[in-house]
Amino acid sequence: MVEVQHLTKRYGSFTAVDDLSFQVERGEILGFLGPNGAGKTTTMRILTGYQPASEGSARIGGFDVFEQPIEAKRRTGYLPETPPLYPEMTVFEYLHFVARINDVAPGNRTSQIGAAMERTNITDMTDRYCGKLSKGYRQRVGLAQALLHNPEVLILDEPTAGLDPRQIIETRRLITELAGDHTIILSTHILPEVSQTCQRVVIINRGKVVAVDSPDNLTARLQGSQSLYLKIDTNGVDPVPTLQGIPGVVNVSSADYREGLSGFQVELAPNSDVRREVARTVVTNGWGLLELRAQQMSLEDIFLQLTTEEEPEHEDVPQPGASSPAGYEKPTEERIDG
Amino acid sequence: MGNILALVQKEVRGYFVSPIAYVLLVFFTLLFGWFYIASLNLMLQLSGGNFGMGGPQVVNVNEFMIRPLFGNTAVILLFLLPMLTMRSYAEEKRSGTIELLLTSPLSDFQIIMGKFLGALALYTLMLALTGIHIAMLFQYGEPEWGPILTGYLGLILMGSSFISIGLAISSMTKNQIVAGVATFAVLLLFWIINWIGDASGSTAQSVLAYLSILEHFDDFSKGVIDTKHLTYYLSFIGLGLFLTAKSMDTARWNG
Repeated sequence: MVEVQHLTKRYGSFTAVDDLSFQVERGEILGFLGPNGAGKTTTMRILTGYQPASEGSARIGGFDVFEQPIEAKRRTGYLPETPPLYPEMTVFEYLHFVARINDVAPGNRTSQIGAAMERTNITDMTDRYCGKLSKGYRQRVGLAQALLHNPEVLILDEPTAGLDPRQIIETRRLITELAGDHTIILSTHILPEVSQTCQRVVIINRGKVVAVDSPDNLTARLQGSQSLYLKIDTNGVDPVPTLQGIPGVVNVSSADYREGLSGFQVELAPNSDVRREVARTVVTNGWGLLELRAQQMSLEDIFLQLTTEEEPEHEDVPQPGASSPAGYEKPTEERIDG
Repeated sequence: MGNILALVQKEVRGYFVSPIAYVLLVFFTLLFGWFYIASLNLMLQLSGGNFGMGGPQVVNVNEFMIRPLFGNTAVILLFLLPMLTMRSYAEEKRSGTIELLLTSPLSDFQIIMGKFLGALALYTLMLALTGIHIAMLFQYGEPEWGPILTGYLGLILMGSSFISIGLAISSMTKNQIVAGVATFAVLLLFWIINWIGDASGSTAQSVLAYLSILEHFDDFSKGVIDTKHLTYYLSFIGLGLFLTAKSMDTARWNG
């Protein structure tokens, strides 16, 4: 549905997008993830025909966005970073204008506007002036504008920015619903959003693709090394030497100490799952096993690993948290201990 | 075509929900009315002031009233029309709504025509209001139709030239004040461009005189449609719209 090949955009000597290639299949939701200034917005602007690329090509529904811009734009709905609203128009007037410039047939306008307003939950704002809307409503009117003409491809630049938590959940649900009929590309800097809504993630940094995969695969791929969290009751005995004696265990460090119980961080060699061995060791030593769980790398870890200076792809053993910038705290699993 | 109409309606609406349309209409009719009375007084002096020469004389209303009035109108427009175009692109660039237009299935030509015709529509309304004054002349005198119609044609052409240059300048900035001031300065320059011609050689003088934007208007108010002037205004409009298109293209590349 969307094909991007060797896309490059230069501003003078600055390269905003560098040889970017990816594809999005029909009905898929692609998440575009990257730090600020990575080239997300530039890429989206090229795809929507707002800007031309310096090199490379982009196709939407088979139409080249440079060669046949009108055909490509007809198939695209776009929500820019700031919703492009005319403050002096009411929501209905605005959507009506959008319907007209998108060649929605006169007979279908009212029904399609109504459908878009219902989907984005803004029917109670019909006669409100766009300039008087709250940030959340502005964002939703922007979204209604993008999907009004039933485009095959929806390009959403940070669709949940500025929304309150409930609206964020609603918007994500809406995006997931839309995915069946539409192909969606969305950019975000909110990482959980990607793992919740997207089937595939493109992580870009400094205009280059650093990873393309599903959120699960990305997590799995970078999980060459795992670590375990272990909470045991040893009755005062120091378990570290014993634990380090288990084959496959690289390092054991004390993680926390609460209510007289020690938690340990057990780092494992790549692709070794020694949870059984660890459990057996604990039991044979007569200690109380209170908690044992594998610590997953969150998307945050992956994101930081991929976008930090150290080029972690070349490291044999990416260590969770180890290559994170200073001050960055290890994310903890959202589980209740004990 | 339907798209252009949608854009024109959006533009005209934009003028009327902001104070711009009202400010322009009020001050334009006020100033026009003022010049109207001034020209009327002048004409009455000319016709009625010389009783010693054998009573009131018949004075040509077109020559002594309407022609100077149209000439003055051209000067008012020089001051007012930059206000009409200054926000057209600048405001859309500032607020980001230009992104909506440029990513919708619209060609640059359609966007430019929408803005141009939108401004032209309001300008035509401004001129239409002056029809009331002219109608009163028909009530009390016998002016000729011809020079009045050609005069209006001249005003439309000249105003369109102002609008096209205003659009081009507005498309180059995000700041509508900058756009307005720069448009006014450029138009003023095209008005006085032949003033320095006097001291220089005759060729330079004739070139500068040809470029002067008001120079070409006088014949229209005399009732003459000269293709020379027609060509001048149409080229001027074409140039302005061409520059607007180029500027949109440049903005797109530099984004």
